[in-house]
Amino acid sequence: MTPRFEQLEHTADLALRIYGRDMRKLFANAAYAMFSQLAAVTRLGHTTERIVKAQGTDFESLLVNWLNELLYLHETEGEVYSAFSIDELSPESLAATVYGAPCEEIYTIIKAATYHDLRISKTGEGFVATIVFDV
Amino acid sequence: MVSKKELKRVEEYLWEIPQDHRSDMRVPARIYADDALLEAALQDRSIEQLINTACLPGVVKYAVAMPDIHQGYGPPIGGVAAMDVNGGVISPGAVGYDINCGVRLLRSNMEADQLKPLMDELMTSLYNQVPSGVGKGGDIRLSGRDTDNVLEEGAAWAVAKGYGTKDDLEHCEERGALAAAQASAVSPKAKKRGSNQLGTLGAGNHFVEIGEVVEIYDQHTAEKFGMFLGQAVLWVHSGSRGLGHQVCSDYVRKLQSAVVKYGIRLPDRELVCAPVDSPEGREYMAAMAGAANYAWANRQLLMHRAREVLQAILAPRFKNVSFKLVYDIAHNIAKVEEFVINGRPMKVVVHRKGATRSFGPGNPVLPQDYREVGQPVLVPGDMGTASYLLVGTEEATEKSFASTCHGAGRVLSRRAATRKMRGEEVQRRLEAEGITVRGPWKGLAEEAPHAYKDIDRVVNVVHKAGLARKVARMVPLGVMKG
Repeated sequence: MTPRFEQLEHTADLALRIYGRDMRKLFANAAYAMFSQLAAVTRLGHTTERIVKAQGTDFESLLVNWLNELLYLHETEGEVYSAFSIDELSPESLAATVYGAPCEEIYTIIKAATYHDLRISKTGEGFVATIVFDV
Repeated sequence: MVSKKELKRVEEYLWEIPQDHRSDMRVPARIYADDALLEAALQDRSIEQLINTACLPGVVKYAVAMPDIHQGYGPPIGGVAAMDVNGGVISPGAVGYDINCGVRLLRSNMEADQLKPLMDELMTSLYNQVPSGVGKGGDIRLSGRDTDNVLEEGAAWAVAKGYGTKDDLEHCEERGALAAAQASAVSPKAKKRGSNQLGTLGAGNHFVEIGEVVEIYDQHTAEKFGMFLGQAVLWVHSGSRGLGHQVCSDYVRKLQSAVVKYGIRLPDRELVCAPVDSPEGREYMAAMAGAANYAWANRQLLMHRAREVLQAILAPRFKNVSFKLVYDIAHNIAKVEEFVINGRPMKVVVHRKGATRSFGPGNPVLPQDYREVGQPVLVPGDMGTASYLLVGTEEATEKSFASTCHGAGRVLSRRAATRKMRGEEVQRRLEAEGITVRGPWKGLAEEAPHAYKDIDRVVNVVHKAGLARKVARMVPLGVMKG
């Protein structure tokens, strides 16, 4: 089975390769991958639920903006999210419901998802994206 | 990946990739390095990122990389690019997410030997009382109006509130505030992220360190900066925290449409930009300056707290203890400066991403007490090796837009560093060398000395290439990581 994501080598920052059998799954897996770098997501309950919206000019920019929106929520609400339902998705906008819990044991600060080397490619099994985060 | 064959050696420590290397380059790319540091830079994509930077509209002379260059996103870390204010661009990605990440150095009137028996107590108190760590807020809660004032006033806001002295402001780059700042250009989201983080260190490579001056290379300049052999010093390294991250994210997103509007073609979307003289460019400059001012206020508060902690322990034991600011410098910033380009003066926006301003003697923006010798340049190393105080040179004006290196530069990824040695082991080894360490295991593992280049080698290159001159070398006695 294809993993949801894998970590790539990057000298100063964090690079993740994300897989998804369709675009919605790719967006959900990207969010899961990011939060799995921040906290023990598998041990986290789902006590909070939030609606998240993001806009972009194409799927690539939408993906980055979605992740940055989640980082903003994470930092200002003190929560970590581990389940993601992408309710609406077009190349320009997204609406999602995210589930998580307050979390104080955070491993690291992710400053932002960047547009560097950003690419979403179609593969035989779905989609793959590489995202570089500033950490 | 670029190979060594494609580089031309211009001077002993200077390499060039000619403009015809790639058709979209507008100027050559230059790298200051010795053979070993160049080899290190060729191992990742940092030079390709420098070449991408040399493609930005309005870039003048050359894109320059410092010897601590390493792979980032957009431009490399350790990259400098100057764009003509007329027709050139300003790029949020070429400043970075931690806007005005920077460092300040304090000199004490104490011998390091007097502090050595107290290091456990000093470092434990600093660790407990200087707010640090992931997701940790500080003691200061800013109202909306307070945040706006911090964004527009910078370090002076903190001093006006009683956190420090006017003398501190005199010894900050830009006196701790960029006048271009406009609070209205900073989004409500950024302000919300900044509302409880002022006066906090953060995590990652940010630190507070007590060090000892172990070598003086230039006695006259060292005396001008108030430094002496065996002296105890204090370092503070932090930036604009979540507020700065949000400002950069906001503008990298906003300017994605500006590049379409202005017909700018880019080799990397993270280099997104807008003409300096456009509504979008001006708005980013105003927001970035605001975030830079937040960072100056942040370091002012961190320093003030650290001074209080040290005073509380030292004042009962020693007479007249003082810790005075030598200087505060930014190493992720864009600023309008004037240089002579092709024989005529030109105003440019100098983007320094992981690079430090390095003004030579006589520059009128320098504080009166340093003007004769030049600007102090602060180059912190990894937590087990050394840090340097340098002084800016006239030569750097011509060679690197008055810029020099900002640190040792990473050579191992955080993951690779963690795989190599656990945090507990890093701490044990440092303590065996007499360095008192406080911090979370993960942070210590990621920031271990072996994750960085050899600081002595990096500084040697900038010294020999004339980008800055060595004044003093310091070693750590105690380090706290966020």
